[in-house]
Amino acid sequence: MGKGQIIAGFLAPHPPHLVYGENPPQNEARSQGGWEPLRWAYERARDSLEALKPDVLLVHSPHWVTQQGHHFLGVPHLSGKSVDPIFPNLFRYRFDLDVDVELAEACCREAAEMGLTTKMMRNPKFRVDYGTITTLHMMRPQWDIPIVGLSANNSPYYLTTREGLEEMDTLGKATRKAIEKTGRRAVLLASNTLCHYHFSVEPEPPEDMSREHPQSYEGYLWDMRMIDLLRRGKTQEVFRLLPQFIDEAFAEVKSGALTWMFAAMDYPELPGVLHGYGTVIGTGNAVMEWNLIKAGLAQAA
Amino acid sequence: MTVVSAFLVPGSPLPFVQPDNPPWGELAQAMQVAGQALAASAPDTIVVYSTQWIAVLDQLWQTRPQLEGVHVDENWHEYGDLPFDMTIDLELAERAVAATNAAGIKSKGVNYDGFPIDTGTIVAANFLNPGNRLPLVITANNVYHDWQRTGEIGRIAVEQAAQLNRKVAIVAVGGLSGTCFRHSIDIGSDHLALESDDAWNRKILQLMEQGQVDDLLAACPQYAAEAKVDMGFKHLAFLLGALGGGFKAATVHGYGPLYGTGGAVVEFHP
Repeated sequence: MGKGQIIAGFLAPHPPHLVYGENPPQNEARSQGGWEPLRWAYERARDSLEALKPDVLLVHSPHWVTQQGHHFLGVPHLSGKSVDPIFPNLFRYRFDLDVDVELAEACCREAAEMGLTTKMMRNPKFRVDYGTITTLHMMRPQWDIPIVGLSANNSPYYLTTREGLEEMDTLGKATRKAIEKTGRRAVLLASNTLCHYHFSVEPEPPEDMSREHPQSYEGYLWDMRMIDLLRRGKTQEVFRLLPQFIDEAFAEVKSGALTWMFAAMDYPELPGVLHGYGTVIGTGNAVMEWNLIKAGLAQAA
Repeated sequence: MTVVSAFLVPGSPLPFVQPDNPPWGELAQAMQVAGQALAASAPDTIVVYSTQWIAVLDQLWQTRPQLEGVHVDENWHEYGDLPFDMTIDLELAERAVAATNAAGIKSKGVNYDGFPIDTGTIVAANFLNPGNRLPLVITANNVYHDWQRTGEIGRIAVEQAAQLNRKVAIVAVGGLSGTCFRHSIDIGSDHLALESDDAWNRKILQLMEQGQVDDLLAACPQYAAEAKVDMGFKHLAFLLGALGGGFKAATVHGYGPLYGTGGAVVEFHP
């Protein structure tokens, strides 16, 4: 077994509206479309993922919240119906997925050795959260690549943002070690929205795009500032600004996925490819890619 | 009298899934005592507000007539399953939706197969309503609703019950102090994470027992902030709203640790 490597990372937000707009057979709710620029952004990301041919997709979701430690899906096969508690009218999705339990266990073990509290989720009746499912569906609707699901420990909210994100940094570094030791070619998915200010009223129909725009101009400006830095590869500056961005734009990256992913990739000063940006019920969402093979930081298959 | 009994209970699954662990077993026994008291009060319907059912856009009310299934807690999955079997008092729930909307609190019913029922509601229903003997009205904790608005929702639910001549039991599901152990512990020696939390919880419970509602209300903001109380103690706001703002006394059936946080089973005497 050769040394594993992270071959790419994606910022891959999880508004369930995107699944709803696409009308896949797994989702009960039907729409007349909507959020096309973001869904087309995901189409471009899907093409990149297809070319990368990874062994496994790892996703860190803010909608699997845990208080005692960082948890990892640890059941080989999980299936069921995931209904979004906030938007049940849009997202009632039949999921059926395979977990790379060996890698999940390695991540769990490495993170524990680095001082984090960790736990494997072994209950086969567990309902996978809609954030994990939406990100995975939007990136790979075929569901033919095993996954590792990581919970979002609530440390950035329970402790300070800085302390919480330090834990996510450690989790990312542990993830990288586990990937290297298990020989996997892995793609990381950070399931996070940027500015998270949202409208409190849903249009009728929800896909009425004449009602869709940023909820907050200040939040939009923050999103553009951060995306511009990410597109120019100014990673160090992004993470210097991250706490302020979180505070002022109510950014969902507080939950840790972006920090986890960049820590795992060793914070490369690498320009990210913006596949697209759009708002969903007023929140800011960017689909972005950091292809470590194209950058010469990982080897092609 | 519309409200025939009222309870504050913890939403943690630990006493339900691991009652043989002494620190949690005491709370499990207290829940059973509360269940007996609730049954003795002979309500037609149980009205449940749970801090763990998080809503964002609207005030949500469960309107699926029958809810059955198995839930696995997001954090405590290793302790096993949480089965549930609940019947909804649809008439009262739909009236509550209409009345809260009429009061300017945007509300809607949720009636979807597979909708995630929260752990707190399931635990409360299993302990307090074993065998699904009584129908429920279940409503959510909208995170943007403050103390006053949450109390208003409780008041409206009872007002609607009165118009239907329903006798109701009120069950507010939520914790006390919120500081938890973030690492693995020997569960047999579980205790309050902070002595200051323990002191705060005991002070609040004493005010409840003595029926000192004004002092209780005055203490709540500081208590919520200093003891990191679950959701700002809004579950008490709902309960007080349902009780018309006050009560004469309360019985604390149990108080104890839940992985460092505080939980209590309290019966209020209107």
